Amino acid sequence: MVFWIELLIAGLVSGLVIGLVALSITLVFGIARFPNAATGDTMTLGAYGALAGHAATGSMLIGGAIGALGGAAVGLAAYALVFRRLSNRSTVALLVASIGIGFIIRAGLSLAFGHTQQVFQVPLVRPWRFQGVRIHPNDLRLAATAIASLAVVFATLYLTPIGRRMRAVADDPALARVSGISPVRVMVALWLLAGAVAAVAGVILGLRTVVSPEMGWEMLLPGFAAAILGGIGNPAGAVVAGLIIGIAQEMATPVVGFTYKIALSFVVMLVVLLVRPRGLFGRVEGVR
Amino acid sequence: MSLLAIGDLRGGYGEVDILNGIDLTLEAGEILTVAGTNGAGKSTLAKALVGLLPRVAGTITLDGADITGVPTEGRARLGIGYVPQVSNVFPSLSVVENLEVVEGVAAPRARIAELMAAFPALAERRRARAGSLSGGERQMLAFARALMTRPRLMVLDEPTAALAPTLVAGAFARIKGLPALGAAVLLIEQRARQALAISDRGAILDGGRVALAGPAAALLADDRAAALYLGQAH
Ligand SMILES: Nc1ncnc2c1ncn2[C@@H]1O[C@H](COP(=O)(O)OP(=O)(O)O)[C@@H](O)[C@H]1O
Ligand SMILES: [Mg+2]
Repeated sequence: MVFWIELLIAGLVSGLVIGLVALSITLVFGIARFPNAATGDTMTLGAYGALAGHAATGSMLIGGAIGALGGAAVGLAAYALVFRRLSNRSTVALLVASIGIGFIIRAGLSLAFGHTQQVFQVPLVRPWRFQGVRIHPNDLRLAATAIASLAVVFATLYLTPIGRRMRAVADDPALARVSGISPVRVMVALWLLAGAVAAVAGVILGLRTVVSPEMGWEMLLPGFAAAILGGIGNPAGAVVAGLIIGIAQEMATPVVGFTYKIALSFVVMLVVLLVRPRGLFGRVEGVR
Repeated sequence: MSLLAIGDLRGGYGEVDILNGIDLTLEAGEILTVAGTNGAGKSTLAKALVGLLPRVAGTITLDGADITGVPTEGRARLGIGYVPQVSNVFPSLSVVENLEVVEGVAAPRARIAELMAAFPALAERRRARAGSLSGGERQMLAFARALMTRPRLMVLDEPTAALAPTLVAGAFARIKGLPALGAAVLLIEQRARQALAISDRGAILDGGRVALAGPAAALLADDRAAALYLGQAH
């Protein structure tokens, strides 16, 4: 029992990471209307940014902020330099461009930081025990960071004028322009937010495991699986689906083994696409 | 000077011209019906006016200022309100958010209060998702959204097409009241007779050209217009 509860807790934390990745993917899909394959590498960039920031300042808070800002900057740069110019092109053109951007980020990080895995130099803290269940204080801190980041994103989307405009563009881009909404301002906000969210996911993953140039690329599949399961374009759905997949992965590990854990995302994605393409929570309008 | 002057307007979605040289004017305070069979180019004309047609040539002036180079969002702020034929509200936004989201509005709070007073049915449902509204409520919201900027010109694309028959008369009454609110109306309608009845002038499009134009009363009395375009009088 204790064993399963510990797995559940681990699943919740990795589910929050997957949820953040899926949120970044689903925001871009809903508003800019293409699957952004550079999401994973933006994550990786966030992790390296935090690593460097932490090494330079000794503060994890400042390191994390640098990682998030790095992700926002890369998101904005990708939009300004590439996606904006391709905005009238097909979804496939944008997808291919995003694969290229992801590759460039990954190659750049490998060149700058090397191929070897790195870890955050943070003190190891002894886990707390409740009725025999081990809880790592670091996991709690990371979960709190993820939840706070989610709160910022949802508050932006649902409580601010720019968030309202983002939702309007997701619903109907032509009607948004007819209503005086400048698409460029909405896109700038989208890419800053999507980049920062992916980067925060990378920082959290890096702190829980190790930092390597491939870490984000490997998260792309679970991220997409969660975005699809949650109903592509549906932000709350992406987070809930991320939690479901994170928990399912951890709980399945003792049964199917570590190597097949990642295959679970793939199975989830296939089943959803075949059986219920709208996902669990659907996002009917807007996405065409 | 006309409020709206369209000169030799051509254009389309791809290589093919859908609009083949349209000339039309609209004076302040007027209602102009644009009728014509399915595929005549009415919706395409509306899109050209609001800047949503990919390729256009010719001139469009609003109060004498050429707006052909102004992007869609800029035209909205210049005072062109547009109610498209389909998808005319943001379905996942609430009723009040559909109004709040409009940009370029002076004193938006006061304007929303005015429009809620003008459309009490919307005030009752201000927190409801627009996607959950009935056809009639949805259309009121589409009108209110387009009216947020206090437009000089309202472009309405078949506003009665999606309405239950019992709501049509009310919709025409609402359109008739728009000039009193400061907006001239370019009214695209399949129900040409009813539309002409509340209009000052009318134009009939055919093959992307103006086939017939004139005072509304004259068009209603014109045998050729009646035979070819307006359908039988009831
Ligand atoms: N989005 C579009 N892309 C390509 N062609 C279109 C599009 N919308 C309309 N058309 C074509 O333009 C012509 C005029 O259509 P439209 O302006 O919608 O006619 P109406 O509103 O008078 O019924 C039709 O032949 C139609 O097939
Ligand atoms: Mg039409």
